[in-house]
Amino acid sequence: MTETFRRMLRSPQGALGLLIVGLILLVVILGPALAPYNPDTMAPLQRYKPPSAQFWLGTDQYGRDILSRLLNGARATVVLALIATGLGTLAGAMIGTVSAYLGGRADEAIMRTIDAVMSIPSLLMALLIVNLLGKSSLNAVLAIAIAFTPGMARVTRSVALAVRKQDYVNAAIARGESAGFIVWREMLPNVVAPIIVEMTIRVAFAVMLFATLSFLGLGAQPPASEWGLMVAEARRFMHLSPWMILWPSLAVALVAIGFNLLGDGLRDVLNPRT
Amino acid sequence: MATILDIAGYNLDYATPTGFTRALDAVTLSIGGGEVLGLVGESGSGKTSLAWAIMRYLPQSAREAGGIRLRDKDLIAASPAEIGAIRGRRIGMVFQDPSTSLNPTLPLGEQLAEVLERHRGLSRKQAWAEGEAMLARVGLKLPAQMMRRYPHEASGGEKQRVVIATAFACQPECIIFDEPTTALDVITACQILDLFAELQAETGVASLYISHDLALVSRVATRVAVIHRGRIVEQGAVAQVFAAPSDAYTQKLLAAVPRPDHRLVETTPDPAAKPLVEVEKLSVHYGRKPFLAKLLGREGTRFTGNREVSLAVQPGEILGIVGESGSGKSTLAKALTGLNPFEGGLRFDGRPIAGIGDMDRAYRRDVQIIFQHPDSSLNPRQRIREILSRPLALYGKPGQGRGAEAIGDLLEQVRLPRSYAERYPHQLSGGEKQRVAIARAFASQPRLVICDEITSALDVSVQASVIELLVDLQRRHGTAYLFITHDLNLVRQIAHRIAVMYRGDLVELVDVAALPAGASHAYTRSLLDAVPAPASPSA
Repeated sequence: MTETFRRMLRSPQGALGLLIVGLILLVVILGPALAPYNPDTMAPLQRYKPPSAQFWLGTDQYGRDILSRLLNGARATVVLALIATGLGTLAGAMIGTVSAYLGGRADEAIMRTIDAVMSIPSLLMALLIVNLLGKSSLNAVLAIAIAFTPGMARVTRSVALAVRKQDYVNAAIARGESAGFIVWREMLPNVVAPIIVEMTIRVAFAVMLFATLSFLGLGAQPPASEWGLMVAEARRFMHLSPWMILWPSLAVALVAIGFNLLGDGLRDVLNPRT
Repeated sequence: MATILDIAGYNLDYATPTGFTRALDAVTLSIGGGEVLGLVGESGSGKTSLAWAIMRYLPQSAREAGGIRLRDKDLIAASPAEIGAIRGRRIGMVFQDPSTSLNPTLPLGEQLAEVLERHRGLSRKQAWAEGEAMLARVGLKLPAQMMRRYPHEASGGEKQRVVIATAFACQPECIIFDEPTTALDVITACQILDLFAELQAETGVASLYISHDLALVSRVATRVAVIHRGRIVEQGAVAQVFAAPSDAYTQKLLAAVPRPDHRLVETTPDPAAKPLVEVEKLSVHYGRKPFLAKLLGREGTRFTGNREVSLAVQPGEILGIVGESGSGKSTLAKALTGLNPFEGGLRFDGRPIAGIGDMDRAYRRDVQIIFQHPDSSLNPRQRIREILSRPLALYGKPGQGRGAEAIGDLLEQVRLPRSYAERYPHQLSGGEKQRVAIARAFASQPRLVICDEITSALDVSVQASVIELLVDLQRRHGTAYLFITHDLNLVRQIAHRIAVMYRGDLVELVDVAALPAGASHAYTRSLLDAVPAPASPSA
């Protein structure tokens, strides 16, 4: 583990990715404590203030401090994206590994179903699910998890197929091990590395998807300080005070870039061939 | 005899995170025109590094010192453009595996003609005609057709002939052969060797023949050099080195070569006993009928792995199964362990087993399999302790312990230290890993162990110690073995009877004592003829 960490730091993408993601996690944990103002306190006299010494990133249409709102919103945005990706990955990894283990007709049936689901764009899929389940953060998380599952299943299956052919799986079958043991203990540990890489890259997509859902009014609801929602609300005032839309957009972009770089670094480190 | 290739005091180091690792240490070799220098060494000894050093194709991390000269040309000082002109033109190379050294997306003729066009300045038409002549020269029956074929449309032996034709095409001064027959079947390898000897005599090229197989080198080489951990420990005329090896490592290597006249097993199974396993007309077919084909009423193509194989194994008997790759040896092993569905009769200890469904706990406990590559048969994410604990947990006898004590005993049984229980497979050498696989198979105290080419991925000296361990375990436990191998010399050392398989059929079942005279089938006889006779030491 420490070896992986050290090798991560040696590659530029890995080091930068670790730095950005580390900062983001710090904000997630300490954000509300660091915030100079209450994110929901309205101040009618301080509306539309540009960035200044008093309000570092300016204020919004209700006079709320944007920096405080961003620091508070990190929790909602990043943590929910992580949970959504984690759920989607877990489900996808299980489906993919089981499908590769079963092989033959069962594999065909599972993968064609996955293909059918995959043919619907993930945003459309998420919109559909949120519309069916109703508007809320939790439903958005579920929607993103479900939208991510087919892709993860496909990635996992391709790796698991190679693992399935390895003799240690044959040995386990010849030994009379149960299917559960073979999938959990023999196959899954060996497909974990590429899954982790895929997962980190997908966190970035989840953040954007989640922000998009909130932007469309289907994720977090006002007055939450979720970043996508902040962008949506600031849209009307874009010409008047562009910083209102700029800061949350930059925050989403930074998270996306950070996780993407981390994923790139991890892929190089975990792949012994490079 | 003029010296063609001259290597003097050549050192090669690779940079690693922990410092430099020496790959070649003060290697001094010279090859004259018309001479074949056999370079013998085990895996990791630096044979292939030397080949790439001569070809001037080394990774960035390489640091070198010393000299490599081709006639009067200093190869180390040569510019990339000069090297480009030398490679293929003045130095040719033949690789181990023709299926990976040929580009699968280009016709064979294109790959051969390209060399001729580039190095001899022929036009496309001339090159194509010359290529056909070359293919005819290397003994391919239909050269014009072969030129148009893709690599997957030719057999392994045919492909290797094309690679050899390419190497000889520009009449180079020196050719490096890197284990050119290792990936081929015994009989094909034998034919390739004959071709090599013929071309060698005809062209008078200086050849460096790299191999791990001592017997083979003694057949083709005029001089031999033995390499061990990057250092040439001994070199001289073949007859002299093999008859009176002066270096301790060479002696050990020669002693480890399997010799059919040196039996390792003294026990004989009781012929009157009830057979442990009876296989009757067992067939295996691969390929399932595609759903669409079934819908359209089309016949699905089925590939036959085994055709009505019948044999029986006595308790405590070692039955050798030999045959070339694709002859169905491993298919039979997989059928017996429930990894392949099969048709036909199988009786274990008198109990009929109709299919995979009948293979219950008792059967799984009594029949164990050891695979060829320990790298892939041991889960890289599990510690040795965890790997060995599974068969104990599944099949341990009531009195038998399950904990660290029992795992330590298993390791000691295969002569590994108890402390290995906490290691991961990648921390062990190839031979040690195979011992762990053997320990796992013996954990359930089986009555039949199927050994599927278990020593073919190992070096000769390691192979000898693994075989000795197996013989010892057999003597102690009275286990019956189904010993699958392509090495006829090896199996004649340990087996009681030998079953010969050819293209899915069992063609002959013969008592080892009756060999070689007792072989009646033509294929068995050609197999016996093709196996290079081991070079005999002074003893």
